[in-house]
Amino acid sequence: MKKRSADALALARSLLVAAALATAIAAPCAFAGPTPAPANAYAYIGYPNDGQTLPAGKPFKVWFGLRFMGVAPRGVKFPNTGHHHLLIDVDLPPMDQEIPSDRNHLHYGAGETETMLELPPGKHTIQLLMGDDKHIPHNPPVYSKKITIYVK
Amino acid sequence: MLRRTVLGALASLAALAADSSFSAAARARTPAPPNAEAYIIWPPDGAVISGGKLWVRMGLRNMGICPKGVDLPNVGHHHLLVDADLPPLDQEIPSDRNHLHYGAGETDARLELPPGKHTLQLLMGDYNHIPHDPPVYSKKITITVK
Repeated sequence: MKKRSADALALARSLLVAAALATAIAAPCAFAGPTPAPANAYAYIGYPNDGQTLPAGKPFKVWFGLRFMGVAPRGVKFPNTGHHHLLIDVDLPPMDQEIPSDRNHLHYGAGETETMLELPPGKHTIQLLMGDDKHIPHNPPVYSKKITIYVK
Repeated sequence: MLRRTVLGALASLAALAADSSFSAAARARTPAPPNAEAYIIWPPDGAVISGGKLWVRMGLRNMGICPKGVDLPNVGHHHLLVDADLPPLDQEIPSDRNHLHYGAGETDARLELPPGKHTLQLLMGDYNHIPHDPPVYSKKITITVK
């Protein structure tokens, strides 16, 4: 009798562990969008360089780099593609939701691969984040290193 | 005999119709913004590459990238011409080792070239791989592989 309750306890415990494990495995999926991206895909800022100082009052070019993945405009569902978003002076947004569209999150939904940017004097960060046809980051998300630039 | 002649006439008419519709399709080129410009970001003209393995970074201004088969305004996909002159601009860009297609919307191209001098040039193609009107292509650059 005593042994049986111990068994039940052990069973309950292992069920709990299994449930916890399942949650742990399922959890990362909730933090990425529904569109898959190649595991080796990455985005990078080709220009400017990290730490670079740029003249104030003059627009500068930002080059959007992308490897092992392609560009497609918003609304186009094509395997292994997405479109660029440029994050300015912000951290990465939630990875399972549509990327916000505001002055800190610029969308390039026409398939652009570069832009001209003008920022007020000071220290700024820029970072690329790919979005799928619905502006939601991929799984795994594809984003660049966040670089710091100085406008003087 | 008569039937054969009629059939023959029909066949040549059909061939003519097919032919004229083909040339009409070839002439109906996709418009590109007049200020659109393709350019090779890297390597620079005259670059010397050791080993022959390189990433070509394909640049595009005032126009967007879209994979093949998707007909949207002001977009196209890159084609990299390696050691080749511009092909006829009213026809589908050939697909061979001298005309590389990036129909999945790629903007970085991995190349491996034998030692010697090589030329690289970008040419945009529309959803059917036909150059736009006006055609959007880069300067042809020369690199040397050592």
